[in-house]
Amino acid sequence: MNPSPSPNLDTLIHAVNSKCASLKSAAALLKNAPSKEAQELLGLMLEQVRALAREIEGFVK
Amino acid sequence: MEQKLSVLVVDDDPLARKVMENHLQGHQLDFAPDKATALSKLKGKNHDLCFIDLDLGKSQPLAGLDLIPLAASKGIYSVVMSGHDSDPVVEKAYALGCRDFYVKGHEGSDVQAVLSRFLSRNRMSRERIFQDRFITEDKETQKSIENALHYAPSELPILILGPSGTGKTDLARLIHDHSGRLGEFISINCSAYNDELLEAELFGFRKGAFTGADEDRKGKLLLADGGTLFLDEIGSMSPAMQAKLLKAIEERVFYPLGSDEPERASFRIISATLENVQELVESKALRFDFFQRVHGLTIRLKPLSQRKDDILPLLSFFNREKRRLVFSPRAREALLGHDWPGNVREIRRVVDILSAGTKGIIEPEALQPLLKSAHGETKARDFTTDAQYRFALGHGLNQALNSFIDSLVQRSLIENGNRRNKTVKALQISTRVLYDSMKRSGANIRKRAP
Repeated sequence: MNPSPSPNLDTLIHAVNSKCASLKSAAALLKNAPSKEAQELLGLMLEQVRALAREIEGFVK
Repeated sequence: MEQKLSVLVVDDDPLARKVMENHLQGHQLDFAPDKATALSKLKGKNHDLCFIDLDLGKSQPLAGLDLIPLAASKGIYSVVMSGHDSDPVVEKAYALGCRDFYVKGHEGSDVQAVLSRFLSRNRMSRERIFQDRFITEDKETQKSIENALHYAPSELPILILGPSGTGKTDLARLIHDHSGRLGEFISINCSAYNDELLEAELFGFRKGAFTGADEDRKGKLLLADGGTLFLDEIGSMSPAMQAKLLKAIEERVFYPLGSDEPERASFRIISATLENVQELVESKALRFDFFQRVHGLTIRLKPLSQRKDDILPLLSFFNREKRRLVFSPRAREALLGHDWPGNVREIRRVVDILSAGTKGIIEPEALQPLLKSAHGETKARDFTTDAQYRFALGHGLNQALNSFIDSLVQRSLIENGNRRNKTVKALQISTRVLYDSMKRSGANIRKRAP
């Protein structure tokens, strides 16, 4: 697959940057987070990853 | 943590909101996941800072940009955070009034850096206020003013209490300047007018509405549309006039004199009085419903006799564009020992006189006559406000005197339950003076007092 540049690609790139930025910031918090807080963060991170995966899949299709 | 801030975070990403919640712990936080919620929260509450994600979901690309002007107009320090740092978008955000920017991904350091910049700029701008706009080193007064400025962008009405010359009008203007309102600051001294004139000043009039109405004139209410209406000396407004104004404030609709066409205006009310407001309400000189409508936040300004630390800074401030005054240590003592009954206005006057005619080091002997006469003259000046003086210049002394008499008579009648005998006795006037005044005020003199 070799997707050509398009508005959809821009949207995808932005979504990847934005969601990865949140993941990176959340990961930085994990180290010092109390376990309950860490669980909540991990849950949100998982949802974020799944949402990102869905966006990439949508683009590929 | 230096200061608890009220912060709004606008981001459609739940994980990003959670990250911000962690980094802004200890502050009062509010979140908005979309543009509509953010607009409603920005309109409803006064936040110190607002972190705005530019893209609020697929259906709202760059919607965060639309929030910046509202935040800026309310004096909120808006910070744009984005997944990318495209130059045109960032430039546009700054052009719209955003104050800070960072690329998402390093919140741990970036959020703290933003907070430090905000607090440092805030501290500097607060210090400048007390050095340039409202000169005071008195901590209590500074706190009151900071509190008033915190509410400046809101709709909350503000009532400023304080003796003559303490800077009530300056404070009202300062609040307006920090309100983010695009309209004008319109001031009116209610004690300078009788009811008819005050109504014409406030509501405006159409040509021919009364003798002398040679052309249409806009009232202060319309002039204050989108801005602030400052009602000075509200205690001298008659209850009937208060009722009319209350209706206009609440309905935001009013009729100029001689017109059937309604006019609309929306403005923030700041009012002031040097009188004891509780006594005004108890004596019914101030209607309770009107009082309720104008006193959302009450600020009390202390007389200079209770904030002596401000005397020398005020002298320097008023002297800064004039020939520099040098006081001997004894003269400084005399200045600090004086009660300054005319407050800031009196200091300004003393500086004007001294800088115009005194040479060399100023000794207490040179101050003595000034401080004495200042005391005596201030008592006389208390009867005459700037607005009254301007009215006399514009309408002649006789009309000004009549207006003054009519205001006093109306007020005394109210305080005495409309009993004429009591009013005549209280004001030590003849019945003729009373009836002449009532006639001028349009009162029905045949109607007996209850």
